[in-house]
Amino acid sequence: MSTQTPAIDIEKLRKVYTRGKEEVTAIQEISLQIPEGKFVSIVGPSGCGKSTFLHIVGGFIPKSTGTVRIRGKEVDKPGPDRGMMFQESALFPWKNVYDNVAWGLEVQGVEKAKRDEIVEHYLKLVHLWDFRNNLPSELSGGMKQRISLARVLAFNPDVLLMDEPFGALDAQTREKMQVELQRIWQESNKSVMFVTHDIDEAVFLSDIVVVFSGRPAVIKEIIEIDFARPRQLDVHKTQEFMDIRNHIWDLLHQEHSKSGEDEF
Amino acid sequence: MDKRLHKIALIEVVVLLVLWQLLAMLQWIPEYLSSPAVIGKELLAMVMSGDLFSNAAASLYRSLLGFLLVAVVGIVLGIAAGYFKPIGVFFTPIVDVLNPVPKIALLPILMVWFGISDTTRVLLIFLTAFFPCFIATQDGVHGVKQVYVWAAQNMGASRIQILWKIILPAALPKIFDGLRVSLGLTFVMLFSSEMIGSSNGLGLGFMILTADMAGRTDLMFVSIFVIALLGFLFDRILLAVRARLLWWSENRG
Ligand SMILES: Nc1ncnc2c1ncn2[C@@H]1O[C@H](COP(=O)(O)OP(=O)(O)O)[C@@H](O)[C@H]1O
Ligand SMILES: [Mg+2]
Repeated sequence: MSTQTPAIDIEKLRKVYTRGKEEVTAIQEISLQIPEGKFVSIVGPSGCGKSTFLHIVGGFIPKSTGTVRIRGKEVDKPGPDRGMMFQESALFPWKNVYDNVAWGLEVQGVEKAKRDEIVEHYLKLVHLWDFRNNLPSELSGGMKQRISLARVLAFNPDVLLMDEPFGALDAQTREKMQVELQRIWQESNKSVMFVTHDIDEAVFLSDIVVVFSGRPAVIKEIIEIDFARPRQLDVHKTQEFMDIRNHIWDLLHQEHSKSGEDEF
Repeated sequence: MDKRLHKIALIEVVVLLVLWQLLAMLQWIPEYLSSPAVIGKELLAMVMSGDLFSNAAASLYRSLLGFLLVAVVGIVLGIAAGYFKPIGVFFTPIVDVLNPVPKIALLPILMVWFGISDTTRVLLIFLTAFFPCFIATQDGVHGVKQVYVWAAQNMGASRIQILWKIILPAALPKIFDGLRVSLGLTFVMLFSSEMIGSSNGLGLGFMILTADMAGRTDLMFVSIFVIALLGFLFDRILLAVRARLLWWSENRG
């Protein structure tokens, strides 16, 4: 089984932004293989290149060098095989909840009856079917993110890319969303690449946590996490959980004191 | 808008009219400033004779034709310039140079080419009102959030689908801001464009000129009043269309 093609295969990826004459190296060099069906989190200090990394995997921005393969196929532009949830809400404010989810299917030529069935399924999955006629602006932050998730799941990507999807939510809503995401992911069998700066969130959700260094990003450490699924919130209280979390905290903390490039 | 604000606006207008009438009756203001009563009487006479209607129709035809041209050409070119980089690069210097030029300065050239005609008048209105619409539309396209376009690309949308279904609705609030400025300008230009005289003797702006030459300031006020009324009316119509199209937007006006 170990010879199976990885769901995500990144080789010597490098990204240098050029702004006029100035060059900013966002990603030094990253290689990473993720097997099929895994939940992978990326943690790292803010500004280290996490969004850049995800945007390249999504095909939204060009890489400088290296290769990105999804299920063995090299990618260089966006496509429905990778579903992206952006850091800021990307719901179309001029479409209601239903049409936001349905539009991607329409674009792909899915016929009306089938479309209705899929939209209903995913809106019920995120418990927001009753809000199908509302505008995104009428929903709370947590609801918006659930709609975004439903919208991405509806076009059935192989890989989910999520850029700090719960970053703007309060602690309680965030925990609820984590539990819900775990449930939905377990039903879907998709691979997930999840960016967060919240260590607890990463450890709770992931099979694998990838720790990025400060900018320019390299991988500091890859940590496997094997708590049984489905995980309950009280896993947070176990000694093992705290040990892992403290270990990651130390990794990031070294980073902070080394780079001296904090937000504060 | 708030009902109370409507009331205040109405009271304000009535108070001003009454004050004007009083001052005229007491002869505290010179006769050439006329009075609401005299103006009202002339207005009524012109309505009855049908003169007002034919003059207003002639002017409205020119203004609205100019506005329609502005809306179509301004939005199409603005979107093209905003979405396709080479087209934007092509238009930038032209727009930057021509935008601050008072278009009325081009009147002599237009008259050489098209004479004293509606073509000259409509073109003058078009040239004046085009730039706010074009610039607002281009800005609107540039201002569309990158993530909307990315999300659409993610779903597999084509460039054309993105243009029609994402860029256009997302830029629409800005486009309407531009259209509103343009509409106002077409009514401002209504007078200037008829300064060149009128071949058929009709037009609200032309009416002001002939009234002025005859020393009939009361007729001049009638014309100004009607221009203002029409400008207000069409602005309201535009706002209503905007509210319908932008029902989803928080600032639909
Ligand atoms: N379009 C861009 N042009 C130039 N530099 C950029 C651009 N986008 C991001 N950067 C820089 O790249 C670095 C990484 O940014 P980002 O990937 O957004 O970090 P993170 O998501 O980890 O907070 C930052 O220093 C940021 O300033
Ligand atoms: Mg980021």
